[in-house]
Amino acid sequence: MSHQYQAIGWNRQKRVYDVVLLAGVMLYIALFIGFGALLFPYATVETLIIRAAGSAAFLLLHVVLCIGPLCRLDSRFLPLLYNRRHLGVITFLLGALHGIFGIIQFHSLGDKNPLVSLLTSNQNFGSLPDFPFQQLGFLALLILFLMAATSHDFWLRNLTPPIWKSLHMLVYVAYALLIGHVTLGLLQSETSPVLVLATGTGLVTVLSLHVAAGSRERVVDLKKLSPVAKAFIDACSVESIPEKCAAVVSVRGERVAIFKFDGKISAISNVCRHQNGPLGEGKIINGCVTCPWHGYQYLPETGASPPPFTEKVSTFRTQIVDGRVWIDPKPNPPGTRLEPSRIPDAGVQA
Amino acid sequence: MIQPLRKTHRRIFLALALLLPALFLSGIAFRHSWPAPSKTQKSAVYAAPSGTTP
Repeated sequence: MSHQYQAIGWNRQKRVYDVVLLAGVMLYIALFIGFGALLFPYATVETLIIRAAGSAAFLLLHVVLCIGPLCRLDSRFLPLLYNRRHLGVITFLLGALHGIFGIIQFHSLGDKNPLVSLLTSNQNFGSLPDFPFQQLGFLALLILFLMAATSHDFWLRNLTPPIWKSLHMLVYVAYALLIGHVTLGLLQSETSPVLVLATGTGLVTVLSLHVAAGSRERVVDLKKLSPVAKAFIDACSVESIPEKCAAVVSVRGERVAIFKFDGKISAISNVCRHQNGPLGEGKIINGCVTCPWHGYQYLPETGASPPPFTEKVSTFRTQIVDGRVWIDPKPNPPGTRLEPSRIPDAGVQA
Repeated sequence: MIQPLRKTHRRIFLALALLLPALFLSGIAFRHSWPAPSKTQKSAVYAAPSGTTP
């Protein structure tokens, strides 16, 4: 959590994640170059490196973009989300390798500065098949650099999660630029239907997963509850909340997580202070609400992280009437202690 | 707090869902047609001279 900053807060899960990631990338590049040299003996080593690194980065970007919606649709994918930022950094490094070798091979042997050559040598902006696709890749690489450079929790904390997340939404612009880069670059010179099919499949997968996850979220948001007597809102039945888990309801446009634990009910904001993760999809572990994304923890009665951590989320007053949970839609200031509502006739479970 | 971000995300992807397939398909449709190499090299056939051979 955020008690102090480290370059990387290593733990076993992060190590395993990174070892698998790096081994996968190295294996992919080795196989690509090995088979490339066998199948295309006329191709230079530089060309093989350019293509191996570029295709690996493009593939990884698809993985990065699929993880978010997959986790929204199925919680079994959550372990992939835990260290997604390292995937993003590796994607940038592979893209940079592709770009550097591309500049050396295609732009460094003339009179012009290689970067100037990259940006000015092709200006056929009016022609689709001759479009300057390298500029698109360069712009995408700049965005990926910006995201990799600000991926640390230091920037997340200082920029605040909403701004940080808005900034990191630029990944969608980078993706659009890279679809243009590949379609107007590689797919113009390589006419193999396999490449067209693979790119098209990746595009359809990313788009459909995001649209499906977005539509599902919208259903929850549209179920806005309206206050009745005493300004409390009928949120859900006590029975519908699994033990040590939460029901998530949308109140005045924001989500509230109503947790059931040890015969009690508490309601806190659904938004984790770290990266805006969905607290209501987490569980109560060791008495604390635990965010499913990165394990940030909050006490359900106060919405505050246990010491020495300092994160706090809003709490909401609750009442239980005839087996149903009612909540006050007005949030209390983050960290405000509220006594949980006791579930009548509930046996306390350890 | 994150409702506006969710809305932005939804709008971005609705736009991309229209824009990117259009870009991809038109990029494929309008690409240069490269001459295909002929796979079988036919041997030259010369017409037999008409008339009597000298």
